[in-house]
This record gives sequence, structure tokens and C-alpha cells, in this order.
Amino acid sequence: MASVTTTQVPGMTGDFDNTQDDGVSKAPLVLGEATFHEVTRKICRVAEAPRAPLAWYVAFAISTALVGVLGAMITYAVFTGVGVWGNNSPVFWGFPIINFVFWVGLAHAGTFISAILLLFRQKWRTGINRFAEATTVFAVVCAGIFPGIHVGRPWFAYWMAPVPNVMGAWPNFYSPLLWDAIAVGTYSTVSMLFWYVGMIPDLATFRDRSTTRIRHTIYGILAMGWRGSAKHWQLYEKTILILAGLATALVLGVSSTVSTDFAVSQLPGWHETIFPPYFTVGAIFSGFALVLALAIPARELFGLKDLITKRHLDNLAKITLVMGSIVTYIYMMEFFIAYYSGNGYEQFAYLTRIMGPYWRMGWLILFCNCVVPQIFWFKFARSTWWLALPAALLCLVGMWSERFVIIVTVLNRDFLPSAWHNYAPTWVDWLTFAGSIGLFFTLFLLFCRFLPMIAMSEVKSILPQAEGHVHDDAAAVKAGH
Amino acid sequence: MSTAQNVEPVAEAPRMYGLLAEFHDVQTLLNAAVALRKAGYKKWDCYTPFPVHGMDKAMGLRPSILPWIALAGAMAGVFGILALAPLCNAFLYPMIFSGKPYWGLPGHIPMAFALGILGGTVFVVHGMFVLARLPQFYHPLFSTERFRRVTDDGMFIAIEATDPSYSPSATTQLLKKLGAAAVEEVRD
Repeated sequence: MASVTTTQVPGMTGDFDNTQDDGVSKAPLVLGEATFHEVTRKICRVAEAPRAPLAWYVAFAISTALVGVLGAMITYAVFTGVGVWGNNSPVFWGFPIINFVFWVGLAHAGTFISAILLLFRQKWRTGINRFAEATTVFAVVCAGIFPGIHVGRPWFAYWMAPVPNVMGAWPNFYSPLLWDAIAVGTYSTVSMLFWYVGMIPDLATFRDRSTTRIRHTIYGILAMGWRGSAKHWQLYEKTILILAGLATALVLGVSSTVSTDFAVSQLPGWHETIFPPYFTVGAIFSGFALVLALAIPARELFGLKDLITKRHLDNLAKITLVMGSIVTYIYMMEFFIAYYSGNGYEQFAYLTRIMGPYWRMGWLILFCNCVVPQIFWFKFARSTWWLALPAALLCLVGMWSERFVIIVTVLNRDFLPSAWHNYAPTWVDWLTFAGSIGLFFTLFLLFCRFLPMIAMSEVKSILPQAEGHVHDDAAAVKAGH
Repeated sequence: MSTAQNVEPVAEAPRMYGLLAEFHDVQTLLNAAVALRKAGYKKWDCYTPFPVHGMDKAMGLRPSILPWIALAGAMAGVFGILALAPLCNAFLYPMIFSGKPYWGLPGHIPMAFALGILGGTVFVVHGMFVLARLPQFYHPLFSTERFRRVTDDGMFIAIEATDPSYSPSATTQLLKKLGAAAVEEVRD
């Protein structure tokens, strides 16, 4: 075997607490028997097992049923018209935009982990980056559905692209809605390419371990003939680094652009310069809550506790706490600026949030996004799944409610009281939203079963035996230039 | 290799691709890479299941031109949209939106930002595939059973027979001396 004797203490398995460093050396990020082959075996067995765990089949049945509901609701809305939704005048933007902004936000954690944490050389990201990137791709897919159907006549959605046409008309390049379409289109393309390029070496592992012809062919095509050559690795690492740099700009840019849909308008409660960072931080907050909520069951279900360790959950919870605290700061700042501006409309918009017809949701946001994440100050909460999981889910509820309140409370109280109209989603709205959750989980469950869920090559590269030293610096520098 | 015997009566002997040497740890592999470079070998490569730090230095690989490709893509995206927007809104169908000028830079910055990233990404990914000569679904090394472990825990050096310094016996001896656990001939 090409493995090197492990430096680790036997018995240090998934339940070992590696959240503390002893002050001399870093606690290990890979527990159990940490050889190259063992890492391969543990990750591949998820996809190579003849049968998935029973819980997988149950979850898959429920999510595919919801995808069917989504298809039915979209068909119903398209054939009948968007009147089947609760959208009205003046609340033209109901559930479709709420869900769009929510799903785009959920995508951000994956990009944050694979881009920003890579640039900061956070080694712990290797255990979770692959499946966090997968949540990005699938969340963007779910997000993309909503503006597509919100246009009412989806067969004209291509009008958003500058396609030459007989009317000679073009999109308005000054419109934030077009910026938004471009930003989200860029985001989906970049996140898919990033995800796929990062997965190529692991797809090659699947190819080389495959025992049936069909697996060998499919993974062989997807792996593109990867053979781990040093020249390939050099190009691969450079590509990943450049993509990380570009995606870092993107993770800060996409939700900022989404926020211009609101901030560039003239409405009190929307027309604020704080919106771009506000949306971005909220997006990263909800994204990390999602990754935390998915990592807790996934490591149990697929036996990956040696690779997604308590340290990973601990770090995810800490970032959720930081982002939740920044969100809290921004809420305080919004209310303060509304008061300090002396602008009656602005003050009214903010009082409506906590005292208007949707006051329950207003307070729910403050509870879920400001109070709940604060439990992650305590190590007990970070390392106890029955506290961390509900807290993460409440953060998701809070962020969805925030998108609801931002959109609905601003629109339903127009400048003129004669135009005021409350908004209530219909059963079609709710089932479409539930269907999008089903679509996300269907894609995620398929990914867990058929694709490398953890970046094997990256995990191997952080093992101690992957280190080596070149004893020939002078000559190497000469040869390299 | 002949596929249909009635078409090609004389079966061609498999061409010699070169030697495949297996190593058991990263340090030996890096030392071997340095030694092979110093011995003057040109057509050889290391194969590992993960990127080995310092390998490009040990092998003397030059930095790739990928960053420039990415820059070109980003520039194409930025200037592409800055040209497309006025083309559509100022020339082909001039239209005044909200009293703004036909063409104004500030309103186009968000799109230029996004498309710069898109252009850089698309170019760098395609550039990587072109420079790495991928996809390449057949390679002589895939014909050996041993090489399948390269994506698991195998570390290898392959020296091609077309290398000017290559000699079947001397190169085998050198690889063994450098710590190769096994050396085998690979035929195409």
C-alpha cells in the first residue's frame, strides 16, 4: 500500500472532540484511520454501496413527490395566469420574488466556503466544501425558477437577453432587473463550473474504482480522462485559485446586485445604501445555517463522521453566529437611520414592520435572526445536534421571513392610503414554494448518492503524510524561469 | 493494435510507451523528481492522487499562462457589455429611460462587474482544458492495472520511451535507485 503510517492515536473516531487545539499542534481534521486509501474508501462507499440507507429512500420519495407538486403548480399557473397567486396591486412582487431572493441567498455559503475560505487557506473547508458547493448549484436552480415563472408568459423569458428580433427592441440595460438577470446567470454558470472542475479528480477516482461497465463509462466521460499528472495538477490548482478569486468577487456581488432591485427604487424601506452589504450578509448567514442543517444529518446518515468532524460543525456554527450578529447590527442601523433621517415616510415604513399588519413576522425575524444564533456563543450548543439543528432551521425561517417582510411591508403600504392593500399568499404560492424545497432536496439526495460528496483529493492533501520538501531550491528556481 | 483481423492481416506489436515506476511516499517521489530533472530527462511526468506541494519546483515546471487567459476573458466580458449596452440602447433603438443619457457608465458598472467574472471564469476553465489536453479518454497508462490506483493512493513516475535519455535498462536502474517500489514497462 502506498499509505504511510498514521500519526494519529487509535480510537480517535468521529465522536472525538477535535474542536480544541492543545497549544502545541493543531487538532487533526481527519479522524479514524487517516490513510489515503481509507479516505477514498470512506467517501466512495456512499456512492458504491448497492443500496442507500433507508432514510435516503424515504427522503427521496418525499422530495420527488414535491417536485411533482412543483410541476403541477407551475403548469397550473402558466395555463391559468398569474392570478392564481396572491400577488395584487400594489403588492406586485409576492412569493416569486421572496423565494427567489431567499434561494439565491442560500447559495452563498457554498461559494463563501469554496472561494473565500480557500483564499484564507482554511484547511477545514476541505471536509465540507464539495457539498456546500452542491447546495449552491441546487439553490441557484431553485432560485432561477421563480423569476422565470413570474414573468407570466415564460415562453417570452428570452426577451431578457439581447436577441435580435423583428420589433427591433432591446432590453433596458439601465434596469436593475436586467443587472439581476445577468448577475444570477453569471452566478449559476460560475458556480456550476467551479463545482465541476473541482470534482474532476474525484470523478476519476470513481471511474478507476468502478466495477461495472456503465459506471466506468459514465464516470469516465465526466472525468475527462484525468490521470493526476503533475502538469494537470499545476493547471488545476491555478484554475481553482483563479476561480476562487473571481468567485470571491461574485459572492459579494450577486446579492448586492439582487439588492439593487430594491435599493434603486424610490420606495421608503428599500431606497437605502446599506442594502448591498445587508443582502450579502443575510445571504451568507442563511447559507451557513443551511449547510449546518444539512451537515448534521448527512454525516450521521452516510457514516462520514471521521471526515465531517465536530470541528467542522463548530466552525460552521461560529460563522453563522458572526453573520447573525452582523445582520442584527444592520437591523439596528436601519431602524436608527429611519429615526435619525427625520423622514416621516421612512419612519412609517419601519414602524409598519413591527407594528403593522405583519408585526408577527417582524418580531419573528428579530427572534430568529438576532436572538437564536446567539446560542452559538456556547460550546454546548455548537456541539449538541439537538440544539444546533433546530437553531439552524430557525435561522432559515428567520431569513425567509425577512425576505417576506422586506418585500410585502414596503409594497402594501404605498404613499397614498387609498392604494393600501394587504397581501396573502394562496395555496398555489405555498405549494410552489414547498415544491422548490422538494426540488432542492431531490437534487441534493441524488448528488449524495451518485457524486463524490467530499473532495477526496483535497482531504488527502491536508493529511500529514502528503507533505514533502524539495531539497534543491537553487537549481529549481533556475529551471523554473 | 488491430481490431478487425480480415482488414489488417499482420498484427502490429504494441508500441512501447515507457516505464511506470511506483513510489510509496511523497518525499521519495519529490526526491526522485528532482533527480530525474537533474539527470536530463525531458518527457516524463509524476502522477499523484492529490496535488503535491513543491512538485512544480521539483520537476522544474514553468508557470502556466492561465492567469493571462483569465485576464483576457475578464476584459472581454467587461468591454463586451460596455459595447453591447450602448449598441442596443443608443444606436440600434435609441431610447431614453428615466431621463438618463443614452449611454452612461455608472448604470453599466454592475453588469460589467458580473460579466468580467463570467468571462474570466469561462476562459480560465476552457484554457485549463486546452493546456492540459483534456478531455483525453485514452492514454497508454490506462492500460496497466497498477495505474488505476493513481486516483486512490498510488504515486507514480512515468518516463516515455521517446525521451532522448531513455534506455530500458539504465532508466529502470535509475528509478529503482531513486526508491521506486516497482517498475513496469507500459505498452500502448
